[in-house]
Amino acid sequence: MQLAAPFDFAAGFLQENVILPLLYQTGLMQWEEWSFGWALFAVYGAAQVLLATAICVPLERLRPVEHWPDQQAVWVDMLYTMLSRVGLLPLVTFVLFAQIQMNLNGWLADRDIVPPTLEGLVPWLLGRPVLTFLIYAIVLDFAEYWRHRLSHVFNWWYSLHALHHAQRQMTFWSDDRNHILDDLIGFVWFMVVALLIGVPPMQFPMLVLLLRLLESLSHANTRLNFGWLGERLLVSPRFHRAHHGMLAAGVTSVNYGAVLPWWDMMFGTADFSAEYVTTGDPTAEEAMATGSYIAQQSAGLRRLVRSLRTGEA
Amino acid sequence: MPYHAPALRRLLMLCVLLCLPLAAEAQRSVLVVNSGEASLSVLDVTTHAETARIPVLREPHHWVLTPDRHELIIGDTAANELIFLDPESFAIRRRLTIPDPYQMGFTPDGSKLVVAGLARQQVDVYEAGSYRLLHRFVMKTMPSHIDFSPDSRVAFVSLQGTNKAAALDLMAMKELWVTQVGPAPAGVMWLGGRVLVAIMGADYVSVLDPASGAVIGRIQAGKGAHQLFLSPDRRTLFINSRVDSTITAVNAQSFAVERTYRVPGGPDDLIFAPDGRIWTTLRFAAKVGILDLRSGAVETIPVGRSPHGIYIKGAINSGHGGG
Repeated sequence: MQLAAPFDFAAGFLQENVILPLLYQTGLMQWEEWSFGWALFAVYGAAQVLLATAICVPLERLRPVEHWPDQQAVWVDMLYTMLSRVGLLPLVTFVLFAQIQMNLNGWLADRDIVPPTLEGLVPWLLGRPVLTFLIYAIVLDFAEYWRHRLSHVFNWWYSLHALHHAQRQMTFWSDDRNHILDDLIGFVWFMVVALLIGVPPMQFPMLVLLLRLLESLSHANTRLNFGWLGERLLVSPRFHRAHHGMLAAGVTSVNYGAVLPWWDMMFGTADFSAEYVTTGDPTAEEAMATGSYIAQQSAGLRRLVRSLRTGEA
Repeated sequence: MPYHAPALRRLLMLCVLLCLPLAAEAQRSVLVVNSGEASLSVLDVTTHAETARIPVLREPHHWVLTPDRHELIIGDTAANELIFLDPESFAIRRRLTIPDPYQMGFTPDGSKLVVAGLARQQVDVYEAGSYRLLHRFVMKTMPSHIDFSPDSRVAFVSLQGTNKAAALDLMAMKELWVTQVGPAPAGVMWLGGRVLVAIMGADYVSVLDPASGAVIGRIQAGKGAHQLFLSPDRRTLFINSRVDSTITAVNAQSFAVERTYRVPGGPDDLIFAPDGRIWTTLRFAAKVGILDLRSGAVETIPVGRSPHGIYIKGAINSGHGGG
């Protein structure tokens, strides 16, 4: 894939000139195979951020839904994005994922269990990698719909997810503002799905990049909808904004889909009204909305403890 | 005109005979295992053009030829399967589900296939042909590369997640020894009654006594010594190094360093082409490098992401289990 060549080159350069010498100096060379995966993840993450910025900033300037006197709260969202897509979190996730996966796989292999793959279940897909990837994307989006929906159903879970909804200045940077425990649950969820149907590795990073771009775009502060048909094919900024509405925050909401609105249509949670609503969660502590990264994480934790004690969200 | 026909026929035959080596050369292809892109690249050895890209499932790494050389097996780790190819046409013939086939090799007597499962912490021993699991060694941690004693009794395995290597008795199916060899050990090779283990967390290869596992010597290499290959004439040992991006040529008898080649891009597996040059996968550059041993020049060919194993039709196996 010619489009991917510059990104692959950058990841290779990073691996060869920065990461490997660092692993060598710190006595962690056993991770060299995984570290290249992280380098690719980080480079494509950086590309996602750049592309999202290039597309969403003009849209937010040209057709904003809301005007704010200052955008201090957005800076923290930018930090979330950098940590999540480029920096530390993918590194920790890779090491953690690899460790857990190794132990789990070893445990399963001892019991003669080999986890299935989608292609193993549907052999016709063998040799059709692009189609297979698209089907995986659909299946994973379906799983993501239910993870997201359940995070609004259980009070204790929503107490963590409220951090994502607390932002009153929702922009394309808000996609990654999550409580770290909420991210951890998402990570376990993803691992279970991976065990059930397998997950293709970075075979098609450009497609992953496009999907992540759509997720960023869906949070953008812009008056943009994809038209009657388009709104029913892909999640638009208008569609996802309805999910972040003040009145929709909490255990009852609408439009849970990440990339595809199909699941909302299928399970009766779709809201295609033309309105561009005000975002935020009125039940969230102020620290969750405008606090620093640490203040937001602490507020999320406090709310979780309170929820576990009282049973409320 | 009829009078000249025999002469023309002779001329035609001469042309055909002269062209035969070229035709054979044209048929010679290189198979590159793209681990980060779930595909196999087929390269023309003369034109260096990529003639085909064969999709596989997830994350293929190494290859091994069956003892009768009738099938080329690629191990796809994350897909948990062996892919059996026609070693001439590279057409996929069949697939076999086995857990985590990372590096693998047939015992020299051809009776067993031994597979290191890096991610699953295991070394599996299969009966060659039927691929029935005979025994599973649970190894902590990260069993990485394998080679065998010439009598096929013992498999030597590096344990990348520790500082250790292990010897496994393939007759009694028991562990003979586990020994400290150096940080993050990788490539393993039996050579002249000794076992060599490349030490990726350092700049040397440990030399072991195969009976006891005791470290009896060191061979100098570049930083991040990763894998070991013996030249077809068995005179030179080549050691690739990850951190330095070098290939060190060492005298296979004395272990004296003869020359160090700079090969940017993270050289990994390599194979010796019939013309004497070395073809090596460059993991971080998504390329294959062709190293001219006389000049030290490296020519590169773009392939898929993170290329690992490399196989050339008609080339001599490099010494370890596969590629």
